[in-house]
Amino acid sequence: MKNQWLSLFIGSVRVKVQGRGAERFINACLRNGITVWDVKKHSEDITTFFILLKDIPNVRAVVRNSECKLYFIGKNGFPFFLKKMVSNIGFMVGISLFFIMVFLLSNMVWNIQIKGAKPETEYRIMKELQRMGVEKGAFQFLIDDPETIQRKLTNRVETITWVGVELKGTTFYFQVVEKKQPKETKRIGVQHLVAKKKAVITDMFVEEGQPVISVHDHVKKGQILVSGIIGKEGQTKLVPARGKIFGETWYKSTVVLPLQASFHVLTGKYVEKHYITIKNILIPVWGFKKPPFSHYKIDQQKKALRFWRWELPIFYERVIYRETEEVTRNYSWEEALQKAKEIARKELKAKLEEDASIKGEKVLHEAKENGKVRVEMHYQVIENIAIPQPIVQGD
Amino acid sequence: MVKKWRQRMRSWLTNKLELPADIVMDLPRITMIGQIHIYIENHRGLLTFSDKELRLLLKQGQLLVRGEQFVIKTILPEEILLQGKINQVIYIDE
Repeated sequence: MKNQWLSLFIGSVRVKVQGRGAERFINACLRNGITVWDVKKHSEDITTFFILLKDIPNVRAVVRNSECKLYFIGKNGFPFFLKKMVSNIGFMVGISLFFIMVFLLSNMVWNIQIKGAKPETEYRIMKELQRMGVEKGAFQFLIDDPETIQRKLTNRVETITWVGVELKGTTFYFQVVEKKQPKETKRIGVQHLVAKKKAVITDMFVEEGQPVISVHDHVKKGQILVSGIIGKEGQTKLVPARGKIFGETWYKSTVVLPLQASFHVLTGKYVEKHYITIKNILIPVWGFKKPPFSHYKIDQQKKALRFWRWELPIFYERVIYRETEEVTRNYSWEEALQKAKEIARKELKAKLEEDASIKGEKVLHEAKENGKVRVEMHYQVIENIAIPQPIVQGD
Repeated sequence: MVKKWRQRMRSWLTNKLELPADIVMDLPRITMIGQIHIYIENHRGLLTFSDKELRLLLKQGQLLVRGEQFVIKTILPEEILLQGKINQVIYIDE
């Protein structure tokens, strides 16, 4: 039995045989290997049936040897459809253009909404977004994903604490939480200021309260610096003592640094590859070469393509191969010492408050052991040593 | 004489060895589905065809199918599938 689908695919024609001996004609066809189906006899000398498109040259020979006349009365199947399509090329181009347009437009950013920001912050965010390429008419698969935008925005715009980035369809929603610039002063209760740690007072700046120490005094931890009790004996009043008391404090820190270390660093060279992913099948679109690096790191970005309002199971994937290099760092004794000091200083700075300053440093001890440098440092630091201590009333 | 002897030999073989008769003896195999389809294998060509009658040549004799609204759905050198309303299937010996 022949396959109906096959005939549809390779094309068939309906023919009309006119004349006596249609049966003989069909027999002759069969003998010549021509497939014939759907034979109908309409009257004494008119018979119609189907033959395959590819058998037409063979049929001509059969017709010549018979006393019948052959007419082609219908055509169907894919080749004819193709022919029709070619003649209606404008229409086809229109349809495909329409789909391409819808597809492209559904993958664009059409609206950016920023909520919860002051006008100037909003303007700055807009500027930053523009720098990142997020603007009206940008393709969604070419810009960063919302998480990255969120991270970049929070890093670059310092007046915002947090920004929520959401991509809904073709609209970007930004929910901004701004830093409250002037902090509201809390109502504070009556308090003393006491020393945070052992120090020598270098400078005092008292806003309220009765200072009980003076410059160059040596104070212990917990000692009252500024009293919250003011006034003469018998006429005392309790106030919240406020102010800054700067004192010289001392810190000790130890840093151990290996003389030799190896790292993987990016060289800055990279190769990009672009793929369209359908389920698990990767179709390369751009970048077919193997990355010419011996060591590399792979960065992958995957984005779903959309059509109209649906997310297609098709992804646009960008793979970036970044070349890495193994670098061995070798320090000489002096360099290592220098570096260790730097690290120690940095670590200390991170621990200290902003208004603190390092006054002096001294190397207490330096040693080389097992290919490592061990440095003990001593720092003199000027910092605010005052911390509040509430006065418990009713005593 | 030889032909008749051979015929009998074949008939005996199919009986004893339980071989399919249509293959050994070159007989037509006819399958009918109700009245609407008739499928004939092992024919030797089309003799006449109209919408009321189909006449097929067999190895021995002819087969006549009568009915209404006949359409040959498929025809191959040894097979034919006829569609329509089948009323009679007649063997004609020559």
